[in-house]
Amino acid sequence: MKTKKDIKFFINDREVVAKAGETILNVARRENIYIPTMCYLEKVNPIASCRLCLVDVEGSKGSILSCQTKPTENIRVKTDSAHLYKQRQNIMKLYDVNHPLECGVCDKSGACDLQNKNIEFGIDCQDFAVKEPHRKIENWGKIQYDPSLCILCEKCVSTCNQAIGDDAIELKFGGYSSSVFLKNKNSKTLECSTCGECIAVCPVGALISTDFKYSSNIWELNKIIPSICSHCSAGCEINYEVKHSSTLNHESKIYRVTNDFENSSICGAGRFGFNFANNPHESNLKNKKFDEVVNALKKAETIIFNSQITNEEAFILQKLKEKLGLKLVNYEALNLQKFLNAFGRSSGETLPNGKIEDVENADQIIVVGSRIIVENPIVRYAMTKAFKNNRAFITYMHPVYEHLLHNVVRQFIRYEVGTEEGVIALLAEALLGQVLKFDLDVGYVSGETNVGEEELEKIFSIGKKSKKRVLIIGSDLIAHVKRENIARFLGVIQKFSNIRILLVPEESNSLGVAKICQLDEKESGNTVGYNMNGNYIISSLKNIGNFYIPALNQQEGTFINIDQKVKKLNVAVPFNGLSLNDIANKILNDKNKKQNTIEYTKNIFGIDFDSLENMQIESQEIEIDCNEMPHEISKLPTFDGTLVYNSRTFLEFNPFSAISQNVNINETVLIGSEQFATAGKISDGDEVEFEILGEKFRRKFKIDRNMRGVIALNPVFDKSLKSYLLSSIYKFQKVKIVKVAI
Amino acid sequence: MSLDAFKNRNIGSQNYVPVNIESYPTTGWDKFKQVVKRGIGKELFVGLWVVLREMLKFKIHTVQYPSEVLPIGPRYRAVHKLLRLLESGNERCIGCGLCEKICVADCIRMDTRVDENSRKEVVEYSINLGRCIFCGYCAEVCPELAIVHGSRYENVSEQRAHFVIKDDMLTPIDFLKQQKEFPGFGALSPNADQLVKKTPLAY
Ligand code: SF4
Ligand code: SF4
Ligand code: SF4
Ligand code: SF4
Ligand code: SF4
Ligand code: FES
Repeated sequence: MKTKKDIKFFINDREVVAKAGETILNVARRENIYIPTMCYLEKVNPIASCRLCLVDVEGSKGSILSCQTKPTENIRVKTDSAHLYKQRQNIMKLYDVNHPLECGVCDKSGACDLQNKNIEFGIDCQDFAVKEPHRKIENWGKIQYDPSLCILCEKCVSTCNQAIGDDAIELKFGGYSSSVFLKNKNSKTLECSTCGECIAVCPVGALISTDFKYSSNIWELNKIIPSICSHCSAGCEINYEVKHSSTLNHESKIYRVTNDFENSSICGAGRFGFNFANNPHESNLKNKKFDEVVNALKKAETIIFNSQITNEEAFILQKLKEKLGLKLVNYEALNLQKFLNAFGRSSGETLPNGKIEDVENADQIIVVGSRIIVENPIVRYAMTKAFKNNRAFITYMHPVYEHLLHNVVRQFIRYEVGTEEGVIALLAEALLGQVLKFDLDVGYVSGETNVGEEELEKIFSIGKKSKKRVLIIGSDLIAHVKRENIARFLGVIQKFSNIRILLVPEESNSLGVAKICQLDEKESGNTVGYNMNGNYIISSLKNIGNFYIPALNQQEGTFINIDQKVKKLNVAVPFNGLSLNDIANKILNDKNKKQNTIEYTKNIFGIDFDSLENMQIESQEIEIDCNEMPHEISKLPTFDGTLVYNSRTFLEFNPFSAISQNVNINETVLIGSEQFATAGKISDGDEVEFEILGEKFRRKFKIDRNMRGVIALNPVFDKSLKSYLLSSIYKFQKVKIVKVAI
Repeated sequence: MSLDAFKNRNIGSQNYVPVNIESYPTTGWDKFKQVVKRGIGKELFVGLWVVLREMLKFKIHTVQYPSEVLPIGPRYRAVHKLLRLLESGNERCIGCGLCEKICVADCIRMDTRVDENSRKEVVEYSINLGRCIFCGYCAEVCPELAIVHGSRYENVSEQRAHFVIKDDMLTPIDFLKQQKEFPGFGALSPNADQLVKKTPLAY
């Protein structure tokens, strides 16, 4: 974009300066000058439907909308006057026409923009009336829509379209019968990614959450605890809203999760999957149970754990390893360590250099090896923005076609399962072919991977025109057996081009665990599972295992997120039992016992937990190792037969989000295309059985007409602690599907 | 509004009834005369005679509390009641939470949920009378005249819990006929109809 000179103008006789692209409203807000708005949302383009942001410009007739008008040099803007006030009053009166007087039962009451603005403009009577058409409350599943409350501001539609990318709802105009509709006419329920952002942005009570409906008046949720979501590597900032459980039960309970919807968006797992607090074991506090866990650790040879834990917990595990001579096993984090090591030695930097912000600003984006829509919804939202704002050219490379991305993705490339190494090699060749010479038999690799040379040609030619390019790398590549060679190719790409590489780790804190722990290859002997299965299980998953510890919304701690930022978790609901730190204090038994887990934050990052703010893990420069240049590609593997992809669903990322939403596990489905059904000789609604890693699955099969290809999506969140094992392996698995006769 | 109207002590022509009070004796002699008059004059015996007469007639004026209770003014603020709609018998409380919000002692709590007809249902409602200061704000703010003050001022029970939950306050459905419209604190004024500004209606 061309950078224009700053524009000087006046608001209410104060001299202000607009930067290139800023509207009058943007400048006013920056300068703390108040202009009322009803439809303005920071994160989408101006909607301009409410007309409340009217301002006058001296010397010109008629008022202008400040939210969409850019100032010109030296204009004098007035934000308030008797006649503007009158106009705004009239706008509010029109909003009130037939607006039901049901604030008493409305879930938005107390935080409703319509209420607030009516009070602000002193509207105490109604002068207008029209005949009200019959309107019905629509139940769309997780979300309900009441058309008679809707003020048609369009915020929900713009958000869904521009910030999320699902484009699932639209506004149909028709005078007083205008309302929001589902875009998919054939469905009565929302078949979107269920992020719930439309609920969050709705200024009135027209869109509400079915689960939250009528469960509390919102001003009673007066304990608002800022924390981060623990379900994926984005580490979104959220607020837990907490109140007593009921009239007679004083224990704290989380009622809902809210976010700063003006500027950011969160996904459905974060918004709806909050109810996973653990209860302490009844006998947790008794010495017997405590001795039991301490003995179990002393007897053990290995601790198996996953990366959905805080840095502090990881650090304590590392200390236990040093003290007791244990092995620490975490396959997924170990894979990441190996990947990063290889990457570092070929790129000269310890970490990939991409951030989510880069995705937002990019004009070319390539996604490889990730079902990004559920692996990290925030990266997907950034892709949507890049497409909407910069018309970014997005290439999506994955064996599974993703219907919901068809709005933003310009090029889908479905490569063969297992050939990721070849895919990356081809990409490196296409992106760097003119700079570097790779020892690559392009014809053979292209044939095996099913990535056509014209497709690569397209990526190359777009790349030549693009200034900001991002390559998004998913966890399929980290879980792949050839992860090291893949990482070398990527390292070279980062080193020799301006392409930024964004790595999407599998778990919420994979980067933290990989940084802190020294991990071992394989478990042996007696095992203690930390949120994993083992001979003795310490678990924060509700009522699972031998010893119960606090869940991630019951403890303080830190995560390192996808942007390599250190993010802080806070306690939303208390846990009146013991934590890993208490166990460690007993075992470590040295003078540096810590009262609280977060005292370890200082050991890890050198700063106290309480003063830690906006910390960024910096990438370090290391020496490039010439032996660590990409190796030649030997034969690429082939996966024949029936394949499933162990994937999250939109709302269920892991066993924690699963228990918190009371999903009926018996209704978990295997989703495939019609093609898959034909190939496997099964039909919609059939009960099927199959096995992965010795774990038996029994699922109902469901046909999704939007899917293509012969790989079915298999969710694993319902397998309790075993889920983590299933999601950390290479997600494509060959299975034998057996139809169950009922 | 200024405070002048309140500060003006000139009673003017309002309907006050002046009471005739004899002026107090000032000199010693006058005081002595008054004592003699009251002590051995007939005034002492008038009183004794009235008592004797009433005793002989067996007309007892004392209220025989607790077997007899005096009616109490409608604006008295005693233990709360939750009312029902007179016609349908449905609960009036819609769960708006205004009473919970306004309560100065923070002693009201309620649990709400979606009922079978997708309406808001108040499943539990409680007032902690140990903290309530009987200020009447809850009754005043209630848009439905659902929570009101009753006339039961005897806060005695074996258990504190006996007063405070919904079941105790809500009019039992078979006593609906006895439920009276509440005239007290927070109720509509008799001229409420005239004060309401009507909104236009399109049909
Ligand atoms: S939940 Fe999210 S994706 Fe679904 S309609 Fe609302 S904004 Fe769109
Ligand atoms: S549903 Fe809410 S956000 Fe959407 S148009 Fe109506 S009022 Fe606006
Ligand atoms: S699951 Fe990920 S994207 Fe969703 S709210 Fe949590 S951190 Fe954000
Ligand atoms: S009378 Fe006053 S203190 Fe008592 S419950 Fe009502 S508002 Fe609260
Ligand atoms: S103010 Fe009245 S209607 Fe509202 S919750 Fe209280 S009792 Fe119920
Ligand atoms: S904020 Fe400008 S029209 Fe609504």
